[in-house]
Amino acid sequence: MTAVRDRELPRQAVPGAPLLEVTDLRTYFSLDGATVRAVDGVSFRLEQGEALGIAGESGCGKTTTALSLVRLLPPNARIEEGSVRLYGIDLVEKSPNALRRYRWREISIVFQGAMNALNPVNTVGDQIAEPIIERLGLDRKAALQRAGELLELVGIPRKRADAFPHELSGGMRQRAMIAMALACDPAIVIGDEPTTALDVMVQAQILELLERLRRDLGLSLILITHDLSVIAETCDRVMVMYAGRVAEEGPVGEVFARPKHPYTQKLLAAFPNIHADRRTLEVIPGSPPDLRDPPPGCRFAPRCQFAMDVCRTDVPPEVTFGDGVRVACHLYPQGSDGVPITTPPDANGTPP
Amino acid sequence: MTATPGPVAGATRGRRSSGAGDFVRRFSRRREGMVGLAILTFFAILAAIPEVLVGPLQTAVTSIGPRLSPPIDGFPLGTDELGRDIVNLTVHGARISMTIGLLATVVTVAIGVLVGIVSGFVGGRIDAVLMRITDFFLVIPTFVLALILTPIIRDVVGSATTEVFGIRMTLIVIVVVIGITSWSSTARIIRSQTLSIKERAFVDRARVVGAGPGYIMRVHILPNVINLIVANAVLVFAGAVLTETTLSFVGLGDPFQPSWGQLLEAARSVGAPGLGAWWYFVPPGLGIILVVFAFTLFGSALDDLLNPRRGGRR
Amino acid sequence: MGGSFVARRLGQAAITIVAIILINFVLFRLMPGSPERVILRGTPNVTPERIEALRERWGLNDPVFPDQLVAYITSTLTGDLGYSFIARGQTVVDVLAQRIWPTILLFGLGEMVAIALGLALGAYSGWRRGGPIDYLGNSVSLILYSTPYFLLGMGFLLVFASSIKWLPTFGMLTAGRVYGSPFEFLADLGAHLVLPLATVSLGLVGQYAIVMRSSIIETLSEDYVNTARAMGLSEGRILRHHALPNALLPTVTLIAINLGYVIAGAITVEVVFNWPGLGTLTVQALTARDYPVLQGVFLLLSVAVVLANLVADLVYGVLDPRVRT
Ligand SMILES: Nc1ncnc2c1ncn2[C@@H]1O[C@H](COP(=O)(O)OP(=O)(O)O)[C@@H](O)[C@H]1O
Ligand SMILES: [Mg+2]
Repeated sequence: MTAVRDRELPRQAVPGAPLLEVTDLRTYFSLDGATVRAVDGVSFRLEQGEALGIAGESGCGKTTTALSLVRLLPPNARIEEGSVRLYGIDLVEKSPNALRRYRWREISIVFQGAMNALNPVNTVGDQIAEPIIERLGLDRKAALQRAGELLELVGIPRKRADAFPHELSGGMRQRAMIAMALACDPAIVIGDEPTTALDVMVQAQILELLERLRRDLGLSLILITHDLSVIAETCDRVMVMYAGRVAEEGPVGEVFARPKHPYTQKLLAAFPNIHADRRTLEVIPGSPPDLRDPPPGCRFAPRCQFAMDVCRTDVPPEVTFGDGVRVACHLYPQGSDGVPITTPPDANGTPP
Repeated sequence: MTATPGPVAGATRGRRSSGAGDFVRRFSRRREGMVGLAILTFFAILAAIPEVLVGPLQTAVTSIGPRLSPPIDGFPLGTDELGRDIVNLTVHGARISMTIGLLATVVTVAIGVLVGIVSGFVGGRIDAVLMRITDFFLVIPTFVLALILTPIIRDVVGSATTEVFGIRMTLIVIVVVIGITSWSSTARIIRSQTLSIKERAFVDRARVVGAGPGYIMRVHILPNVINLIVANAVLVFAGAVLTETTLSFVGLGDPFQPSWGQLLEAARSVGAPGLGAWWYFVPPGLGIILVVFAFTLFGSALDDLLNPRRGGRR
Repeated sequence: MGGSFVARRLGQAAITIVAIILINFVLFRLMPGSPERVILRGTPNVTPERIEALRERWGLNDPVFPDQLVAYITSTLTGDLGYSFIARGQTVVDVLAQRIWPTILLFGLGEMVAIALGLALGAYSGWRRGGPIDYLGNSVSLILYSTPYFLLGMGFLLVFASSIKWLPTFGMLTAGRVYGSPFEFLADLGAHLVLPLATVSLGLVGQYAIVMRSSIIETLSEDYVNTARAMGLSEGRILRHHALPNALLPTVTLIAINLGYVIAGAITVEVVFNWPGLGTLTVQALTARDYPVLQGVFLLLSVAVVLANLVADLVYGVLDPRVRT
């Protein structure tokens, strides 16, 4: 199998444009007459060969962000605003049929529960071959041949292609799912909590596999997880989301060493040593806001120990620092170098 | 199905703590449910005060109309072969059909809930045996069983003229027969709900404190399946009305207390459809269709809101 | 599909059939009057010797349990169901044998039509959920589901017997007609079949559509359908290759389980059109309190349903790889 990608860029690709650039994405759900602002102004970019980790508490809009890229949203969702540019081409503008051509060939997804993500009545070989036949136009024989190669690539013996999903272990199914995601040699692979349902040993193996594939195939990866240690180990950049917005985004080393946003700090504080401890994130007191009626200013303000008056009224602008870290927090005014302007007198935590 | 997402952080918080007012609000947003409720209210009124609306039930003796007459002055829906007013018969039929349906639902649900809770709570061998029996009743054509049971039980209890809730003994037998032949799906549903409640902490706590199984079932399990019972009962009612109608249609009704099914049987046996006498069977027929339709609409709306298995899923 | 699975299912079916016979036995003992009277009621020239022979054969001189029960089960299993009262002493088995074919013809065809139409309508409605066909189909399905079968039949009868006299509405064949060729016979049969068949099919189609619709909707929300969407497959392919095969599986079982329930309603259609099958037989037997025939009908239909369920399970086992192993 060809490891080197010699892909022909889509026709109207803008030369020099980043691989993926998401700008001010807003995806809302309508629910019993109310509007759930699940993703509300998210921007980020992904360069060729880069791995971006998206972190944040459950319900903060990670999955919705990912699914918005190729519009795999439930029927009650709509993309209200923003653009998703792949090679500079805006996917949001595409008609459903035009968009379909980008799915899997350009952006593929490894879903969370591999048990249910595979069709129970088809063999894994057939399921890996299906996009190859349907999307790349290979004949069945060639497709099955390639499916076998992909299986070996992810560490499953080729002869297991005849197995049905229920005959494989959880880890094996997730490997098969990854093989499937690679079937059309996509530009971007998204992993939406690809290891959450697995036990720890298997989790480590799957992450190793992803890292190896990244290295060998030069994959561009978006890895969604609420496990910060996973991101620290596998990703180049990290984007921390809170209640549908980006709190902080930047190179993994910078963000983990010197977290700027109070929310990021809290998250990391919950991990005294990210390499030793794999505790989950849900240890910050309070709960995320109701996304049907979020607070008007900073969404983290109600839980933030540094919250000032301005935080409750104005949405904090996103400020980018010299070290490439972007933060949305009133503690860091435009043009500052990363030192917070004020420390609230009653704050009992140490300022950053 | 409403789109209620799985992990709605925050967003669900307000929804879970739903009081009665919240329930009414959510129900009133379901258009089909409201339509069902409106139709049911109409028929419930007919069933509650038939005498007030159309006078006492007409009999062969008290009938005053011409025989099998199409709608004419004074008989807006015509008459039957005995000269009785079809309006009178249909309104009284509503009372009989709905009362039998209601009583049969009570018996059915009572058996189903008892079997379901005991089976789910006690578990083990008793559960296995009860579920075998339940599956048996789920599979066999229970209607045919009801059809044999009814005359046999009537022969056994004899021709007693006692009435229960204003319903003659012959029809009470039908109530009981419907009950003992249609409880199985209720039992299945209640059992699976009981199983999941049993796992919850407060049941364990009750057990630790030394509460007996009977007490736990009554005080901890029953209140937690009550929503499900209500939703299921509404659907059971629709089935009970249909079963009663069909039993009456094959000749097991009581001519002295004609239900809608009994009227249909009478209409068929005098050949009303072939004679073009639509007025004889269309009114009771529409009554049945509307009531069953309304109960199904109402029931599925309730089920969507009250059944934890449905409400929680997208 | 493992042999043990088949064996287990066969064992279950056998137990169920024995349980049905057991119920029949209890019913039989419940009936007022002495058992031999019930059995022989329609038979002419009953001599004391005959009664004694019968008591002997059915073990009626022995204790109820276990001797009579064993005798009852044995005689049932050997095809002795007693004598019919309405058929004046013919054996129940003979009576059933005459009446079963019209029912198989009517009900079998009706099921096939209803399943084909119902599954197609349900699948389409669920796929185009919220669309005009779904809305219409769902309302019509619900109304059909709420309508007793015989009432539908009475509606047809009203239209075709009194207004448009195109089709025969009575019986299975024109009484007393002599057929010149097999073709004529079939044409006559076919004409008589149209209305009852339409009634049975229409009566059943609603619930099959409802079941299939909800099954498709459930399947369409499964993760693997989302995976198929993520792959950029066309909606048609997703429906045909992913949703339908999975949605059909539970539907097959549900149809089989509901069969017992459905049969009851369907046989009442026979009464409306005087179709000479088990339905009309049942009503005749009921009027005359011909218990042996009623019990025979119950046994026959129960066994048919149990076997249909068995077949459905085995088919399911072939179709679903999760059961096969
Ligand atoms: N189908 C839906 N309808 C309404 N709200 C939804 C739906 N799916 C998700 N949401 C809401 O959108 C928000 C983001 O969800 P999601 O993207 O799944 O979060 P994450 O992946 O970070 O856990 C949550 O608050 C959730 O309640
Ligand atoms: Mg998620």
